Amino acid sequence: MTNPSPTKTGMIDFRGVNKWFGALNVLKDITLSVEPREVVVVCGPSGSGKSTLIRCINGLETIKDGDLIVDGQRLGDPATNMAQLRTEIGFVFQSFNLYPHKTALENVTLAPIHVRKIPRAEAEQAGRDLLAKVGLADKVNAYPSQLSGGQQQRVAIARCLGMRPKIMLFDEPTSALDPEMISEVLDVMVAVAEEGMTMMVVTHEMGFARKVAQRVVFMDAGAIVESGTPEEFFSAPKTDRSRAFLSKILRH
Amino acid sequence: MIWQQLQSLAGSYPLALRGLGMTVMLSLISLVLGTALGFGLGILRTGGNRLISSVIGAWVDLIRGTPFLVQIFLIFFILPEFGIELDAFTAGIIALTNLAACFICEIVAAGIRSVPTGQVEAALASGLSRWQRMRQVVLPQAMRIVLPPLVGQYVLLIKDSSVVSAIGLTDLTRVGWLVVQRVPNGLLVFFLVGVGYFIVCYPLIMLARRLERRMGAAHGEVQL
Repeated sequence: MTNPSPTKTGMIDFRGVNKWFGALNVLKDITLSVEPREVVVVCGPSGSGKSTLIRCINGLETIKDGDLIVDGQRLGDPATNMAQLRTEIGFVFQSFNLYPHKTALENVTLAPIHVRKIPRAEAEQAGRDLLAKVGLADKVNAYPSQLSGGQQQRVAIARCLGMRPKIMLFDEPTSALDPEMISEVLDVMVAVAEEGMTMMVVTHEMGFARKVAQRVVFMDAGAIVESGTPEEFFSAPKTDRSRAFLSKILRH
Repeated sequence: MIWQQLQSLAGSYPLALRGLGMTVMLSLISLVLGTALGFGLGILRTGGNRLISSVIGAWVDLIRGTPFLVQIFLIFFILPEFGIELDAFTAGIIALTNLAACFICEIVAAGIRSVPTGQVEAALASGLSRWQRMRQVVLPQAMRIVLPPLVGQYVLLIKDSSVVSAIGLTDLTRVGWLVVQRVPNGLLVFFLVGVGYFIVCYPLIMLARRLERRMGAAHGEVQL
């Protein structure tokens, strides 16, 4: 998982990005730059646009205006090969979205074999290694329906890593999990972060943010309200909205 | 008297076999072609191009909303007016294939729509091409939904093939009409015709039932 940083611009660059769902301005004038090897945690109340924000990065959502430059390529530019760019971006979904008709190993090797054109034997060896790395060496031939939520999400992370991406995006990766399974997924994410992956993580897991994030971005009503180091953000939130949000999630 | 009729019927067995052969042949060819065409249309129907999708939708509605007998007459008697001469067999194949494709298109489209959006997004996010997404992710999951009604549809189409007797093809039904002129016992003759169709259809009915039972068991994919 090496991370070359060829350009002076960020790995992910939002410049005045706006997006609407009908009349609703879901992303308001977003400007944000994520450096190579940086880990950014995005938090905020539900409906604040944080999922939409990271879904724009790999083109699952399109932006209305502004510029979004990912790995040196401008999204929406005819010269940008979106399928090619997506191979450099891993995306972990809240609901895992593993392929139910394929085993854990087949889930991991599908894109390397068909998109990266890696020989099957080589892809399978890499896939086994990755599944071992996320602690699932014994589940290689299991189908998703035979795995717990935490195990499924770890397979999903391995599936992304199989493509050797430059960027990993996580959309509330632990929100659909039973509490006792959250840490096994966070541990894997910490390991990925420590290897130097550029990451954007939508999560309310403040322990994870404190441990590996260089920056916490707080969103509300489609706008970035506050941004700072985890230490600053958690101990001295600057706005009323972030204070109100933190008091809600830290109450329990 | 019934004994004489039975003897006379027994003498007609070569004709009956020919009729059965024609029914099986017609059904087989048009089901294979109709399935291929139906899958193609179903994929296009859900492919995101509004124009293509609504043109296919309109055609399917038209075919589903008109009697098959009328469609056969149109193909066999009207097309020659425009200089397209077809023999009865070709006309029958075209009409049946078209009918099969239209029903199968809707079954396939429903199956594709049943696959959760998250599956397509996951495939999209990992850079799979449109065809790879269809082939590797969407269709295998859609097949679960598609297979039981598909096989059921085959049974209906085999029975619909009896309509081609109207344009003079000597299929099982027409053999019935021919024989009943010699053996004036319609009940007996058409009972045997019915048995002929049932013999062809029953294995498929069993297969459909088996597939329906299996649907719940497999891990998202039906293995035959």
